[in-house]
Amino acid sequence: MPPAWRVWYAPARVKPRTINKLLVANRGEIALRIIRSARVLGIKTVAVYSEADAGAAHVAAADEARLIGPADPASSYLNIDAIIAAASAAGADAIHPGYGFLSERPEFARATEEHGMTFVGPPAAVMAALGDKVAARRIAIDAGVPVVPGVDTGDLATARAFAASAGFPVLVKAAAGGGGRGMRVVNAAAGLAAALEAAAREAQAAFGDSRVFLEKYLARPRHIEIQLLGDQHGNVVALGERECSIQRRHQKLIEESPAPGLSAGVRDRMTEAALNLARAAGYRNAGTAEFLVDGDNFYFLEINARLQVEHPVTELRFGCDLVAEQLRIAVGERVAEPPAPRGAAIECRINAEDAAHDFRPATGRVINLNLPAGPSVRIDTHLGVGAEVSPYYDSLIAKLICYGADREQARTRIVAALGEFALLGIKNTAAFLRDVVASPAFARADLSTRFLEENFPSWANADGDLTAALITAALVADGVLGAARGPAAANGARDQAGGADLRTPWTELAGFELWGRR
Amino acid sequence: MKLKQVGDPREVEIEIVARNGAIVRAKIDGNEVIAELEMLADGSAILQFDGRRVRVLGARTRNSILVAAGPASFEFTPVEGRAGASRHGLAAPEVTAPMPGKILKLLVAEGDSVEHLQALAVLEAMKMETTLYAESAAIVKKIRVGVGDMVDHGAVILEFSPPAPADPSKRESTVPDA
Repeated sequence: MPPAWRVWYAPARVKPRTINKLLVANRGEIALRIIRSARVLGIKTVAVYSEADAGAAHVAAADEARLIGPADPASSYLNIDAIIAAASAAGADAIHPGYGFLSERPEFARATEEHGMTFVGPPAAVMAALGDKVAARRIAIDAGVPVVPGVDTGDLATARAFAASAGFPVLVKAAAGGGGRGMRVVNAAAGLAAALEAAAREAQAAFGDSRVFLEKYLARPRHIEIQLLGDQHGNVVALGERECSIQRRHQKLIEESPAPGLSAGVRDRMTEAALNLARAAGYRNAGTAEFLVDGDNFYFLEINARLQVEHPVTELRFGCDLVAEQLRIAVGERVAEPPAPRGAAIECRINAEDAAHDFRPATGRVINLNLPAGPSVRIDTHLGVGAEVSPYYDSLIAKLICYGADREQARTRIVAALGEFALLGIKNTAAFLRDVVASPAFARADLSTRFLEENFPSWANADGDLTAALITAALVADGVLGAARGPAAANGARDQAGGADLRTPWTELAGFELWGRR
Repeated sequence: MKLKQVGDPREVEIEIVARNGAIVRAKIDGNEVIAELEMLADGSAILQFDGRRVRVLGARTRNSILVAAGPASFEFTPVEGRAGASRHGLAAPEVTAPMPGKILKLLVAEGDSVEHLQALAVLEAMKMETTLYAESAAIVKKIRVGVGDMVDHGAVILEFSPPAPADPSKRESTVPDA
């Protein structure tokens, strides 16, 4: 029996569709999150996975799972043919791309539809126009929306001429970019050629598209975005804004809604600009219009034609499920004006990085894990004991989101929740994020994209934590504390070097004394 | 014993002086810390010292010791003598991968003389580029990887031999006239 939410009578020009089985073309926390929403709607789910993810959480969560290739993303999660083949073989009638990977690749949306399946996202043509930052800039200019001064090309001579007239610093960006990849700030003419080359190479590796362009670099802007939902009937609604100014190397680390101190006038004008852009582009499904805000001026950056990493911030304020909304839109339902938002929400992205040492990427296996909980505390993660963080994929390992009646309640809740987070096995940024949200500057909401440079130019673990860690390390070295871990850990064998019991269900069943007391 | 954090050149001397039941006396760079240790059912322990109460977790891997102290995460390695290398004026006899990843670029060739902090190779991990630099002047003896290779954490990328002694005649020419 079909679930009640499906639309069986849609306007004549829209072919009604149903989704019975959804393939989730992603991994990690977002694959898990999409599977959960689909299940609630009575939709069967198909996970895809690479050889590196055979034991991953999203594989276990789905109704079925299909191997699509080796660990290298180009051969698996970016392999359109393999994913379409998996969807066809599984009998899926829709594909949700998540974020990253193929989510903003028009050819993937096109291939999905050509194989008779529904793509949960905007149509390929709209995505091609908007997902391309250069083309999106042109659409915005035509719609009368202000954009940051810049040029549409990475051609060295044009770039040099623009930088000479606009002045340094300038920002090199990937046309197909997102998440800060393929982005470079250039402070002087001497570095321009190298930055264009490095950005193009990084963009080619991350997106399979090496085109870059240039913008004037604003001194101290805020990054604020508007959540949009558009349906097949030409309706577009906005679900408030998210402040995403806390960034490191153009990667968002902390997001919140509402944007603190943003005047109602600026918010309304930005929302109107975002809606105009989406209507002009014929936008459908979930998308986000990003702006740089400088005082009362705002400049359009791009429309992200997908679900954003930070979408839970909006969900907590509007009491909605954006993935469920995406699925409803995909089968032809109409979007409704959202209710008035409530309270405030803050999200922290916990990454597998060594924050004390230049945010160097970290890898490893989860040996022990304590996740925070409590009223209005949400954590989206694919981590569990035994989960592996490999070098092949993004470093995001968990999103912690807290709601509060006001910003201060949400902030104090997330400070406390980060204090509860404990992960042994993979170095991560939880303690750094706790220090940021606990800082007076963050409490004052003195926000700009330079926040971390200005307030946390360098960061180290608190002396007390280092002392505790050193004592613990010495006790582990003495064999008083700690499980040994080696390459054979997954097999439950004994480690050659340490000889102590490894933490696996098998060894624990045999002898529960993890720490090996003496 | 001496420990240092991975990615950090500073060394710390830590010693467990005595342990009497739950009481641990430790010396960190000569300063004594007295802590109380309490084991918990979930595999963690509580360390109490200086009026603090920190939940800790620890494990040994083949090359290092991993610790979580509250939300803070650490990786320590024991400091080993590198007498053989430093005698010849090398910071390290080889360059190893600081993390698993793919070799994107090799910026030097075998036989090249490199200077302190000269870029040697570009490694891509988690879609970000990391440049590896020489920790001292040296001569590239052998390159053990090729562009496009996937390398593990700790894999040797290239080997160094000591730098050529400075040419005395050259040195003279750089001295300004008195």
